Order: sequence, then C-alpha cells, then structure tokens
Amino acid sequence: MAERRSAVILTAGALALLVYALAFASPYGLRVLTVAGVYALAAFGFQIVFGLGGALSLAQGAFFGVGAYVTGILGSRHGLGFEATFPLSMLVPFLLALPVGLAVLRLESHYFALATLGIAQVLHLLAVNLPELTGGSNGLAGVPAAVLFGWAVPRGLPMAGLVWGLVALGGLIGWRLARGRLGRSLTMLRDDPLAAGTLGLDVGRLRLAAFGISALFAGAAGALAVHTQRVVSPEVLEFPVMVSILTISIVGGRGRMAGAVLGAVLLLHLPEWFRFLERGYLVIYGAALLLTIVLAPDGLTGLLHRLTARLYGGKPRALVEAREPPPPPALPEGLAVEGLRKYFGGVQAVDRVSLDLRPGTITGLIGPNGSGKSTVINLLSGLERPDAGRVRLGGQDVTGARADRLARAGLARSFQAAALPAGAGVLEAVAAARLAFDRDAATAEAHAHWALDRLGVGELAGESCDGLPAALRRRVELARALVRRPAVLLLDEPAAGLTDGEKADLAALLRDLAGEGMAILLVEHDMGFLLPLAGRVLCLDRGQLIYDGPAGEVRRDQAVATAYLGRAGSA
Amino acid sequence: MRRALPLLIGLLAATSCLSPAARADDTLSFPVLVPLTGFLSLEGTSQRNGAVLALKQTPAGVAIASEVVDTGTSPEAAVTALERAAGSGTVGAVAASMLGTQMLAMLPLAQELKLPLVTVSGTASITEQGNPWVFRFFPGDAVTKSAHARYVVEELGKRQPAIIYQTTAYGQSGKAHLDAAFKALGVTPVFEEGVDPAAKDLLPVLTKALAAKPDVLVLHLHSGPTALLLRQAASSGVTLPIVAGSAMHQPSTAALLEPAELKGVCAETAASPISGDTPEVKAFTDAYRTAFGKDPDAFALGQYDGMTMVLEAVKAGARTPDAIRKALSSETFKGLAMTYKSDGKGNMAHSAVIVCYDGTSRVPTLVKRYADPTLAAK
Repeated sequence: MAERRSAVILTAGALALLVYALAFASPYGLRVLTVAGVYALAAFGFQIVFGLGGALSLAQGAFFGVGAYVTGILGSRHGLGFEATFPLSMLVPFLLALPVGLAVLRLESHYFALATLGIAQVLHLLAVNLPELTGGSNGLAGVPAAVLFGWAVPRGLPMAGLVWGLVALGGLIGWRLARGRLGRSLTMLRDDPLAAGTLGLDVGRLRLAAFGISALFAGAAGALAVHTQRVVSPEVLEFPVMVSILTISIVGGRGRMAGAVLGAVLLLHLPEWFRFLERGYLVIYGAALLLTIVLAPDGLTGLLHRLTARLYGGKPRALVEAREPPPPPALPEGLAVEGLRKYFGGVQAVDRVSLDLRPGTITGLIGPNGSGKSTVINLLSGLERPDAGRVRLGGQDVTGARADRLARAGLARSFQAAALPAGAGVLEAVAAARLAFDRDAATAEAHAHWALDRLGVGELAGESCDGLPAALRRRVELARALVRRPAVLLLDEPAAGLTDGEKADLAALLRDLAGEGMAILLVEHDMGFLLPLAGRVLCLDRGQLIYDGPAGEVRRDQAVATAYLGRAGSA
Repeated sequence: MRRALPLLIGLLAATSCLSPAARADDTLSFPVLVPLTGFLSLEGTSQRNGAVLALKQTPAGVAIASEVVDTGTSPEAAVTALERAAGSGTVGAVAASMLGTQMLAMLPLAQELKLPLVTVSGTASITEQGNPWVFRFFPGDAVTKSAHARYVVEELGKRQPAIIYQTTAYGQSGKAHLDAAFKALGVTPVFEEGVDPAAKDLLPVLTKALAAKPDVLVLHLHSGPTALLLRQAASSGVTLPIVAGSAMHQPSTAALLEPAELKGVCAETAASPISGDTPEVKAFTDAYRTAFGKDPDAFALGQYDGMTMVLEAVKAGARTPDAIRKALSSETFKGLAMTYKSDGKGNMAHSAVIVCYDGTSRVPTLVKRYADPTLAAK
C-alpha cells in the first residue's frame, strides 16, 4: 500500500514537471529545469555512496568535473558526437574512481572525507595548470551542443527532454540498485560497518562498487552540464558544485532517488525565485534551507512520507512467504583453535588459548570482566587479527581471515548489545544477514521470514526494530545469526536481560540447534542458564585458559572459584 | 493522486508566474548581470554601480528598465541569468559580467539570442571567439600588459623583472600577455610563478622571487593578494620598485594598505577616476560617491562609459539589439576614461595609464598614458 502510494506521488510529480515544461515554462524556466536535471543525476550517485553507503565522498563534484572536461575536450577539440563523448564521460571518472577508491576507501569517516576532498583539489590544480589540455583557468569555450546521431539537440525543450529522459533512466537504475541487494548491503554497512562484515558482506568491495557507481552518475551529469553551458572551466571542479550535490541529497532525503530529484528541483529554483533581491537572495535562500532542514530532518521525501502515512494511514507492506534457507555447510571438524594470542599495546588480552568446537556441542566460555572472552569471539569471527596461533574452520586454515570470509565459510556470531539498525524493519534487518548469500533481496526476505518463524517471532516481520523490548531484540538478533544456517555459532551473552521464561525458551532453542549439528560457543555470566546447557566449559582469566572441562565440574575448580565464581561457587 | 496532481501543477504554475513576465509595452530593457557575490564581488559591484549610474541618463522619449542579477562566479549562473534577462521584454543590451569564464559561457547564447554584451572583462579570449555581440569597454590584456611592460622597461629602465601572477583565468591571460610584451621589448623575466587567490601567505613566493635577483617586481594579482603581497614586501624591507596590475588602482585595494606601504608602487589601469584628471571625470566621481557612498574605480568608469555609449545609440534612434550592436561596432565614442572605437572584434578600449603612489595618500597620480601601446611596442 505504502509503495503504491509512493508510486502515485512519484507519477504525479513527474506529470506535473511534464505539464510545467510543456505548457508553462519559458526558455529561462526550461534552462533552470535542465540544470536541475543535471544536478539530480549527479545526486543519484551521491545518494548511493553517501545516502546508502554512508561514505561522505567529497570527490563527487570532482568526478562531475572530470566528466565535464572529457566532453569538453573531446567535443570541442576532436569533434566527437554525444554518442561517443557521453559514455566516455562516464567511463573516465569510473576508471579514476577505482584506483582512488582502493587507496582511500579503507579510511574511516572524516579521514575519508578529507582524502576525497584532496582528490578534488588535485584535479582542480591539474585543470588550471595544464592549459594545453584543459584550456587552463579560461577553460574551453565553444563546446558544441549535444549531437545525437547527427541531430544537434537545440536548447530549450529538446535539451530539457534529453536531460530529463536520462534523469528518468538514471533514477530508475538508482532506485532498483537501492532496493536490491547492493542498496540493502550498503545500508547495512552504513548503519553498522562492524556487524556488516560478520554478516558476510565484503565491506571493501561494496564501498568500491558504490564509489565507482557514484562516479558513473557524476560523469554523466558533468557531460550534460557542459552541453548545457557550452563551456568547461575549472569552476566545474570547485567545491561549490560538491556543496550543491550534498545539499540536494540532504534536503531531498538521504538515500532516496526521489529525494535527489525533489532536492535538485527545489534548490535550483529557490535562488531564482528571489533574484530580484540582488545579493539579498542569499539570505532568503539560506533561511529557507535552514527551515527545511529543521522541519524535515529526514529530507523532503521523508516529510512527504510521514505526511502521507498520517493522512492515509501507515499500513504495512505485504510480506513474502517464508522459505527455508539451504542447509548449513557440512563442517565435521568444526572450529579448532591452537595457541591463540592477542596483544593490545603492552596488554596481553589473549594468551595461548586453544579450544575445539565440535558439531552438535554447546561450549560455555566464562570468566570475569576483562578476562578476554569478547576478544576471543572477535578473533574467531575475524573482527580482530591474532598475533599468534592458528584457527581452522572445517579443516581449512582461516587464521587472520576477514570477518566476511569467515561468515561465508559458515561462522556466525551475535553481539553483547543486540546490534539492530535504527529505523529498519525487523524483516529487513534479518534479511540483511542473507544478502551475501542469496541472489536477490526478495529471496533474502523469504529466508528471513523463515528464521523469524523458527524463533517464534514471525509476527514481528512487519514491525520496526525501534522500540522492541530487550528480549525480542535478542531474538531478532539471534534470527540474524540463525538465518545463515551457520555451522558454528558464537553467542555473546545472549541471555542478558531475559526473564526466566525467556531464558528457558532460549535454552530449548539452542539445544535444538545443537541437535541439528551446529557447534555453539556461548559466552555467559549466568551460570544457572549456562551450566545445564553446555557440555563443556572454558574459563578465562587475564587472557589465559584456567579451566577446560565438563560443565558439571567447573564449580568445584579452585582456580575458577578464586578468579571468577567465588569461594561459595555460585555466581 | 486526485489531490496531489492539481496541487503540484498549481505550485509549478506559480513558479512560472514568479519568473519575469514578458512586458507588453515598448520599454527597452538593459539587464545588469554581474558578480555581486564570491571572489569578484568588489569588482562586480563597481561594474554594477557604473552601469546603474549610466542607466539613470534616460534618453528623452524612451522608457528604460533595468534589473540587476547576481551571477556569482559560476558560468552556469551567468548563462541562466542571461536566459532569464532575455525573457524580460525587449532587451537592448546587457551589462555583462567581468569574469572571463562567465563571458565565455554567455557568448554562444548571446549570439543565439542576438543580444549585445557590454563588459569590462579583461580576459583576452572573449573577443577572440569571432562573436560579433561582445563589446569590451576596458583595455584587454594585450593593451594593458603592453603598457605594463613598456613602463617597466622604457620608463624605469629595468630588464630583469620577476613576475608573480594569479592562477586564475585573469592571471594566466595576463601572464601570457606580459611574456609576449617583454619578449617584444627584448627582455626575459628572471622569475615567474603563479599563486592561488586563496593563498594566505605570499612571503614564500616573494622570497623565491627575490632569490632570482630581479631589478623590479611585476605583479598581476587580484585585489586581496595584491594588498597582501605589498604589505609583506613593505614589512620585509623590500626596496625594489613594484609595478602592479590593474587591481592595485582600485580604491578598495589601496584601502587595505597604509599609504607608507604604497610608497613607490605603480600600477597599470584603464583609468583612475579618483585621480580626477579632467572636470568630467571629477563630476563622475562626485556623482558616484553621492549615489553609492564609495570611490569609483576603472571598472565602474569603463562600464559607465560602455552603457553611456549604448544609450547614445538609443538616443540616436537604435531601438533593437541589432541596431545597438551596429552602432557599437561602427561608431566612435568619446567617453570619460578614453575614446572608444571597435577594432572589429569588439575591443573598444585601446589605451592604458600608469598610476603611482607617493607614500602620503591612497590617491595615485597619473604618470603615463599609453594610447594603443601594442602598436608602439611593435
């Protein structure tokens, strides 16, 4: 229902633009509309890399400029037509984005933003200082109009039609990408990059893909900008272009293709409405932007979404039928660890820890706070790299392997604090764990529905993760681990915050999973929950294993009692 | 759907109503499309004021309208402004941006719309595009840089200049013409380096220039960087003569410096209205001060002269853009700064002056006038 409503609003908006362009717009109005289309196209790419992927790439303006220069140079100096310059204007920024992305995408947040800004500065300097190629600071004048298979597209309605036709195509591609596996994976990456890796998502590859796609869109927009202006100069590589794209995305609605269009149309028209104020238009423009951001922090499309939900009700969308995911990989040797060590500076967090997790067993891992339990889980799940030791999964050496590789090899984990993305739906959050395995988002959702049913919370599928009680959040997070049908499951304090009844349900579920052949490692402080469940218990103290034996014997072990359980033997 | 569609159409229709409606009467419009914001806002404001002051001289029997639109510094904004202006009734001529890249972007559209652009842009290439609709009322770099180089070589007798220029269209164009002018005079600069207009410290480039053992510093910088370099040169005890570009003559540049810091500094320019070398220029300067509360510069005077020549054409009966273009192309006009005559490419101004500061005030003295210095240099 909500999707149908969105489609109706989008269609109405597109029709309104069409009616305006055909019946009302002056040549000036058409030019502003054309430029708005150019920026919308650039913002589509930015919605993917920043809106969905959360990477504040300040190189989007630079890729726009590179696309513009490719068209400018090839069009004005070599006489190539639009059918050649347009694809090349997309290709060159894309090819530039790949090595640049490999170099800077591993940087975090503001370092990444600064690095991408640096790229833009370098390109600007090159444009200014290579006058033989770029025309220097004057740029290149006399860029021909877009010539499409022998037809020179005139300015006005035909040019606006060409640009908005490409905006429609680009928007459709962007929309499909955003709703598909790539978009969902990027959203997961943006909301929780740490968890994304443990769900099997290749963080580096995803970021590179988003960066490359953003460059394709920016290059296309730059090419069209040059055909609209008929001149290319270093201004296309300057920061104001980037600021415009960023503002369009934020004002329109982060991550939404419709937001890019709405933001571009509004932001390009807003200053024009107040031009008669000479310099004063900037004050009105700034105040209007500020007001928009205050009234619509999730962008204009977010505001529209909320308003229509209030007017017409927020009925949940239809859910896909539950489908059981393929069975887990057979790993008869389970997970074997020998002599694992990890240092953080001068602190030895894990010291020569060895353990075996065999299929069909539940192993408890206990110890006082700071003893190294979470570090062991982080080492086993690939979030930390061991300094020494060996880890074998199903007989394969996976020592130091990345989290996503381990996840795809059959290992799953949960976190101490249930890491569910804010604002996401329950089904969506669980389906994120299948994105690296299933061919499309719909299949991932069908499998997610199965996992929720398996945990007895299938009715939550249409709900939002926000506001879920602690016990249900735990279950949803467990569903995320379970939906991948892992061979080895590492659980970090899964019973924390649960009532006795809920703990009993959880214990029954874990027994069932072990019965199906899963190897489970359970980090837990609640001995009443853990000891009846686990066949074997390991106890850590200051990074060293001080006990490795049957669960029934642990209370009687002197070293464990001294370090953790206490003399009375009841923690 | 039923509610949303009319609402959006209504909104967009309202948008179209906000755009300038075509005037039904026979009013001639002279839009002023200049950079009022961004790094050229000072110069752009001078341009605006010069045009606005000129357009107050309405010829009898002709209704005149004018709208001022800020073009910022992007070519895209300038083109959009021109398209907007073209929709505002009958446009006679446009007072167009002095920013070279904006002019280059506006030229094809002006040709298509058949609208004369009257500008004070110094960028050489705007009159090298074969476009008959551009008229420059400010000497181009070919003229001013010839005067610049000739003053250095012929008057000061210096033969080892160090050139510091800006890495902008203005800077690169000026540097190229300085090179050509010095070469024509048989002089090779001992140092040349471009600096970014955003640079906050010019001491490094100044130190490098001095290390090349020049006998004169030749500057071709925007207003702010000119003032910064002169201040740093004065505080470093540099005693070499300095001959700056036209940005130095602007009262707003001199206002950034103490008179003592200006001692011995000279600059090329098209004119120096505040030096008031004729009663007519003095009257213009007084009228400008009364209207805008500040001193005029050569850009204001050039744009004033340009728009006055346009109005003279209207007074003589030109009522269409093409008639105005023809008048600008063929007539000679004695303006306040100089006599203007097109060279066939739209270059109307062919003389430049050198002004120098004596260290006691911020008002320079006109020391040398070059009428078509390029011919003399050849």
